[in-house]
Amino acid sequence: MAYVVTDACVDIMDQSCVEECPVDCIYEGDRMMYIHPDECVDCGKCVPVCPSDAIFWEHKLPAELAHFTAAATEFFEQREDSSG
Amino acid sequence: MTATVPTGTEVVRGACPHDCPDTCALTITVQDGRAVSVTGDHEHPFTRGGLCVKVDNYLDRVYSPDRVLFPMRRTGPKGSGRFERISWDAALDEISKRFRSISAEYGPEAIMPVSYLGTQGILNGLNVGDPFFAKLGATIAERTYCDSGSCTAYMMTIGDSAGVDPENIVHSRFILVWACNIMSTNLHLWPVIAEARKRGAKVVVVDPVRTRTAKAADWHIPIRPGTDGALAMAMMHVIINEGLTDDDYVANHTVGYDQLVERVRQYTPEWAAEETGVPAEDIRRLAREYAGGQPSVIRIGVAVERHAGGGQAVRALSCLPALVGAWRKPGGGILQLPLWAFPVNWGAMMHPEMLEPGKRIVNQYLLGAALTGGMKLDPPIKALMVYNTNPVVVCPDQDKLVEGLRREDLFTVVSEQFMTDTAELADIVLPATTQLEQDDIMFSWGHLYVTYNHRSIEPLGEAVPNTELFRRLAARMGFTDPVFQRTDADMIAEAFDWSAPAMRGITVESLKERGWQRLSVPPPDEYAPHAEGGFPTASGKVEFVSSAAAGGNFVVPLFRQGSNDHQPGTPVDPLPHYIPPREAAHTNPELAAKYPLNLLTPKPHAYLNSSDGNLPFHRRVQGDAAILIHPSDASARGIVTDDDVRVFNDRGSFVMKAKVDPSVLTGVTVSAYGAWRMHATSLSTVASVNPVAFADLGNAPTFSDTLVQIEKA
Repeated sequence: MAYVVTDACVDIMDQSCVEECPVDCIYEGDRMMYIHPDECVDCGKCVPVCPSDAIFWEHKLPAELAHFTAAATEFFEQREDSSG
Repeated sequence: MTATVPTGTEVVRGACPHDCPDTCALTITVQDGRAVSVTGDHEHPFTRGGLCVKVDNYLDRVYSPDRVLFPMRRTGPKGSGRFERISWDAALDEISKRFRSISAEYGPEAIMPVSYLGTQGILNGLNVGDPFFAKLGATIAERTYCDSGSCTAYMMTIGDSAGVDPENIVHSRFILVWACNIMSTNLHLWPVIAEARKRGAKVVVVDPVRTRTAKAADWHIPIRPGTDGALAMAMMHVIINEGLTDDDYVANHTVGYDQLVERVRQYTPEWAAEETGVPAEDIRRLAREYAGGQPSVIRIGVAVERHAGGGQAVRALSCLPALVGAWRKPGGGILQLPLWAFPVNWGAMMHPEMLEPGKRIVNQYLLGAALTGGMKLDPPIKALMVYNTNPVVVCPDQDKLVEGLRREDLFTVVSEQFMTDTAELADIVLPATTQLEQDDIMFSWGHLYVTYNHRSIEPLGEAVPNTELFRRLAARMGFTDPVFQRTDADMIAEAFDWSAPAMRGITVESLKERGWQRLSVPPPDEYAPHAEGGFPTASGKVEFVSSAAAGGNFVVPLFRQGSNDHQPGTPVDPLPHYIPPREAAHTNPELAAKYPLNLLTPKPHAYLNSSDGNLPFHRRVQGDAAILIHPSDASARGIVTDDDVRVFNDRGSFVMKAKVDPSVLTGVTVSAYGAWRMHATSLSTVASVNPVAFADLGNAPTFSDTLVQIEKA
């Protein structure tokens, strides 16, 4: 259960969300930010501060953006692989 | 009733009504009389605009097509689900006629209210029906659903202190989260803990399950269910034996230290390791880090009371902060129920003086037995009035309870927002408002803010707030006392002792305007109410030897309509001690041979107890009801994930999907409660196997003290 960053963040990466996140679960990728699905506590504070309206709650993710959930999972799997 | 709600686009301040510590401040946007969004109030210092999965979709509840919007009368056999719409007049006529005739034939004690905190506002919540049933002379309902045992234990030790301000946990250096899955049940506390962590605090979670909260901690200590008291007693043993006490604090602000020293001698880490499954070295390390990490805080969850020795476990945990001087600084102490900081005018809500002395009391957890002859009640229960609760799902002994509710000679009235498992078995169903359709004023048991809930929309259909329900019933019964003439505004004016120091600068008007206000207590950075002792106990100190134990076991009168009659009164050892679980291999090997797995039934992530268990979105988030089984227990039974399994003991059984999951201990199995009975393939839920036996203090339930067996269905 988590919030998900979507395409509106690509090449924008404003990072207001990072400031707002109380648990530091938002990480910087090459072209967009990613929310760690296990670290996110579902508080939703990142949503209103995003100037690009890029963040959605997983359960309310529009169907055409659904693949960003998997993209986040993949991002963190690769990250853990490379660090571990 | 209040004035008509505005038209056009309006933003209205509200408050979450759920029985949760966080009591979120809400912002409701209304367009032409229809609520179009419910969001968290970003300005609220504690809840800060975030809403949990339960309430983020509150409009799903308000505008659900399944809402009960009109009074209904049963037309088929009980449980057939056949009802017809009737008028309020007809409903009130029938209810008053039946209450009168039952009262005349059997005496008024044959009528019993059944209620809790389905809505938590001071007006519409815990005590809303109390004056009516006191006047009627009905059986008193004892409602020990939540924290009752913990409250008895806490008050025996510390008194009714607010304890730690949750916001000042940012200053804590060592945060011990005990039996509390904060991320699912106290969400807004986590950012505070996260901030403390950034400042260097260590977070430790004691829980039999590797919950999301446990995963996020620095150290998760898995513990055998029901043995929390052993760990807490052994921590005291280590702290005392290794000289880690704050001797000055102990000398000045506690009583009974010498006896405590004697008492904890037997509770060695090696002994506790056997009992709890936590290695002795870990127990030592925990005790040392807790004592050394000042200010340290213990956040206890409701679950800690839910076993045979739950009360004494809380006694021990409540002693720990004084032992190490944690209370000296902001962020040090124990967080149980900061509710005690609120000068709620409970008397004006309950009116206990209206109770006839000696009136019979029945605990609602015993409702199944009470309705089916198991309690030898004279007179028997012939009528129930259910509001703010769904006992079929939240009470144990589900099979008996359903059998009782099916009695054709039992007259049952249920006031509800939805056709719950309980409402389906009613004779009359009355439509209840949601929080958007009613005015209320809220305490919190998880922060120090009073919150005002403005009615933001007109009631849907013919739904009425509980306050109006009881005004109507009282009028129809001919009760003319002034208490039944009060408007909601009158009741709000009586909801608090506005002259109390904690209410300085807070008025009904200021609350209406601002939505919420912090109690007039020092700011979080300074709040340390017991830095110099001053505990609200008989001695004014932390009572290791409790003077309140002399009167024996008791339930805080708040949980029993204000009555202090017929208290359990069983003798209580004035010193904290360990009481092992009833249903465990080492205390009941015979039972454990038949039922070797310890079942835990914690709060679900997406439901608030059974509330929301019917809403499609919430059900999707929560997922199908499932039971977690450790891989070794699963393979021993040939069970794999998604198998249908039957879970059973002598009390009952249920069937659901298995989920093989290493996040539970071997020998422990977990299934969240709250799922509705009507959605279960077995037409039974975890409540069918949970015990009715009480914990040692405060008639708390013992849902974590339950042995079951699991087999493939």
